[in-house]
Amino acid sequence: MGKSLDFEFVHDNKCKRAVLLFHGMTGSPYEMKKMGKALYDADFDVFCYCLPGHGTSPINIKTVRWEDWYTDSTMHYRNLTQEYEEVYLGGLCMGAVLALAIASEYREVRGILSLSTTLFLDGWTIPWYNFLMPVGVHTILRYYYSFPEREPYGLKNEVLRKKIAALQKRNTEALDNYPMSCIYELLKLSKWAQKNMFKVQAPVLLIHAKEDDLTSPKSAEFVYKHIGSKIKKYIRLENSYHLVVMDNERDFVFEQSIEFLNSLSAYGPKISKQPPVEDDLAETAGV
Amino acid sequence: MIDTTLILKIFHRLPLSLISIIVTNTLLIFGFVIGKIVLYKFEDAIKFFAYFSVLMCALFVLYFISILWFSAGSLYRGNTVYAAIFPIFLFLPFFIGHFATYEKVHLYTNIQILTLVISLLLALSFI
Repeated sequence: MGKSLDFEFVHDNKCKRAVLLFHGMTGSPYEMKKMGKALYDADFDVFCYCLPGHGTSPINIKTVRWEDWYTDSTMHYRNLTQEYEEVYLGGLCMGAVLALAIASEYREVRGILSLSTTLFLDGWTIPWYNFLMPVGVHTILRYYYSFPEREPYGLKNEVLRKKIAALQKRNTEALDNYPMSCIYELLKLSKWAQKNMFKVQAPVLLIHAKEDDLTSPKSAEFVYKHIGSKIKKYIRLENSYHLVVMDNERDFVFEQSIEFLNSLSAYGPKISKQPPVEDDLAETAGV
Repeated sequence: MIDTTLILKIFHRLPLSLISIIVTNTLLIFGFVIGKIVLYKFEDAIKFFAYFSVLMCALFVLYFISILWFSAGSLYRGNTVYAAIFPIFLFLPFFIGHFATYEKVHLYTNIQILTLVISLLLALSFI
């Protein structure tokens, strides 16, 4: 099932620029599809693959380590660099952390779209007993505990929320729970990414919802503050939750992402090409 | 016939920290055994065993606090051997957790139960 969720949107004529997208923790490429389509329409070839352990059954996700996600993603990135002159990375949630982690090792990454970056699990839906998490994640209990996914499922849009809730019951496109072992691996990846954040030189666009239910804007602010990139932009959304690529402001997210990538690309449309923004904070940003 | 009065008398003499270790330790062993044999077979009952795991985490925290409390008390009374033995059990759950994998979760759960049994026996030996 996992592989069947993968997508590749490739133009017939040889395109010189590609975007590799990474989905979020317990998600699947399904959640990135609309964004992929928008990027494809803007003349990027787009690729998104199911991360190891995802898109099959809840058991499989407990067997993988963050190194598996990293190795698999790196392999896809390296394959694309053989075929394209410009390769950009984009990710949502854990996918954003992966994109940053890869960019810290590969200086030739042309740009990063970091959406709802999840370095810390401190959103407003995190339960009150979260303070017990260190004991849970660092002991054998992590293989027994799953944090049940609950409303609003990362969405402020109530119509979409019902759709996602129905999808989660199938436990393929998205899981209805976050296994603690998966959170443990995410936190390890996050720690590694934080340590190497200064190495990231690629231009980065950070988009984070003010009311993100899973991870507060603190994560995006951390990246903005510690990243080595000279070109960085942070946009804070006012009317979305965690799944910014599906929620109320998704069109704005796509538009900003395309504009940002075009501003970095040598092959972008001349009309929309903007000069790179140095140390720019978007008007909605509050850092 | 179990002489409950005698047991109560013995328990009354014991430091609270030691009683706390014995109680939390026993509950943890029961929790792991019941969880391993019965509860975790119902993997669909996510909410139920999420709360059960939270309870286990809370018990672990109480167990750690009891150990620190007992060790600090022993150190204060000048009994360095007592003070030094129990903190080993503070690190063991994290040590086991570090090496555990999902594929070998039953083996590591058994090891965890075994260390808890040893810790309980040690606590009982202080009576």
